[in-house]
Amino acid sequence: MTLSPALAPRVARVSGQGQRWAEARTGALLSLPAALYFLLFWVVPFVSAVYLSFTSYDLAGAPEWTGLDNYRRMLEDPGFWNSARVTAVYTAGSVVPSIVLALAIAVPLSKPGRYNAFLRALVMIPAAMPLVATSLTWSVIFAEDGLANALIGLAGAEPKPWLTDEGLALWALVIMTTWKHLGLFVIILTAGLQGLPLSVFEAAGLDGAGPVRIFFRITLPLLRRTLLFVLVIAVVGAMQSFVPAFLLTKGGPAGATEVLPLYMWATGFTFERMGYASAIAMVLLVAMLALSVAQFRVLRGGDDG
Amino acid sequence: MKVLRGTVLTLVVAVMLLPVYAMFALSSASDASDLGGLTFDASQLGAHVAQLFGQGGFPLYLRNSLILSLGIAVLEVILSAAAGYALAQLRFPGSRALFAVIVGTLSLSPVVVLVPMYLIVKALGWIDTFQGMIVPFMMSAFGVFLVRQFALALPRELLLSARVDGASELRIFARIGVPLLRPALLTLFLLQFLAQWDNLLWPLIVANDPGLWPLPVGLSQLQTEYDFSIGLVSTAALITAVPPLALMFLLQRYYVAGLTLGGVRK
Repeated sequence: MTLSPALAPRVARVSGQGQRWAEARTGALLSLPAALYFLLFWVVPFVSAVYLSFTSYDLAGAPEWTGLDNYRRMLEDPGFWNSARVTAVYTAGSVVPSIVLALAIAVPLSKPGRYNAFLRALVMIPAAMPLVATSLTWSVIFAEDGLANALIGLAGAEPKPWLTDEGLALWALVIMTTWKHLGLFVIILTAGLQGLPLSVFEAAGLDGAGPVRIFFRITLPLLRRTLLFVLVIAVVGAMQSFVPAFLLTKGGPAGATEVLPLYMWATGFTFERMGYASAIAMVLLVAMLALSVAQFRVLRGGDDG
Repeated sequence: MKVLRGTVLTLVVAVMLLPVYAMFALSSASDASDLGGLTFDASQLGAHVAQLFGQGGFPLYLRNSLILSLGIAVLEVILSAAAGYALAQLRFPGSRALFAVIVGTLSLSPVVVLVPMYLIVKALGWIDTFQGMIVPFMMSAFGVFLVRQFALALPRELLLSARVDGASELRIFARIGVPLLRPALLTLFLLQFLAQWDNLLWPLIVANDPGLWPLPVGLSQLQTEYDFSIGLVSTAALITAVPPLALMFLLQRYYVAGLTLGGVRK
């Protein structure tokens, strides 16, 4: 940067001691609310959650230190293992198809086309709709004489008790979640695809590579960063998901849709076992972090950096 | 090839929107007899809207949702603008520690801190109050992080020349920083409004008083309140979907910017 010589003394003044003091004072003032907020509502709760997970606490009296009891109990708690299994099925079942379908839609949608901008806006609608509104709608779609059964009836299949059958209810949740997240992933992937360098594709086209080869050899590797982002938000989002299971099935029938956050919520706020609920929260946190790290490792594996 | 691709895409999108249309159609259902049918009856929809606003808790839930979502989104924008700008542009003691805490918080889910957060709000005497629902979520690590990333790219010459002209740091933030940060702040407002409009878990925990329930909690109870008329509940769901959809279409650019942030190679 070049400044005229006449300004030099004034610039010297604004970079001097008084200026540094003014900067520090304003910086501290502007970030004071944030400092207080994150301390009181995130740091303290996180430290407390770790502490509470080693205690027995039912809101009456003080938390009582019980060491690893909560974690030991968890190992023998069929309710916990059921929830862990349900969450794993729900996560894998909704993440994989929603990302594969989103890619299948995003690749043609990212190309220039007369109506593609309009279609991209439409694709976002399910993602922008409140989850509560969509959950209520889907609970009616999955009713005995609802749209889902009407559609499979057209194909000649028998109507199914989607939300009341132990084997089907979780898959009903998976279908709804896949549908809900599809648009979001399409938009993120489309943006990623449009950011890829066109010259690489042109060169590959000149070399005679077909569309399938281009997709697997060029598009997918180049898109790795965006895919990783989508995968992480999809997995973490599914693992902490609470609303669909709460609204569609309340965790039932017979615990078939009792995802971990729902089990934790019921343990803490219905049965007031705050210590055990905190231990479940810790396991959920560790699982989410471990999966995120694993995804980074796997998808970044071939990177130089 | 191109025509075929366009047709298939249009069909896929149409199938995706079928449940959205089902919400419209169901909101006009007069009883539970025709759930699979997709005919739309505008007069029934009008009757349901009138009934929802005429009796029961619906207008109250709507008001509470607006208070919560607007309150949190506005506070988030103001406080994140201040902190994000300070962390990016000003040197002050403790800034590194604060940034480290915020980055650490990014990986925490609200589900993890739910129990202690509830205990803190209870200790503050904020159960069954609006501040109990608003204050614990009035900021987010994501918000501060987003503003900071954006504020790092502010033109330093402009800020320096304002200093040379003798403007105070606070004035530089308000008069130069905030206007230049506007795209980031609008994105943040939109994402936070949408998130809070949909927040069921926290109000469910801290608001026992139905007079404070926002739409998500109210809607989850509507089934009992109205003797489960599918038409009425679907109409309520439809009305709940209108503000977020309108905002998304109005601020589409910011919506996409917010969603794709971090996911696209820069």
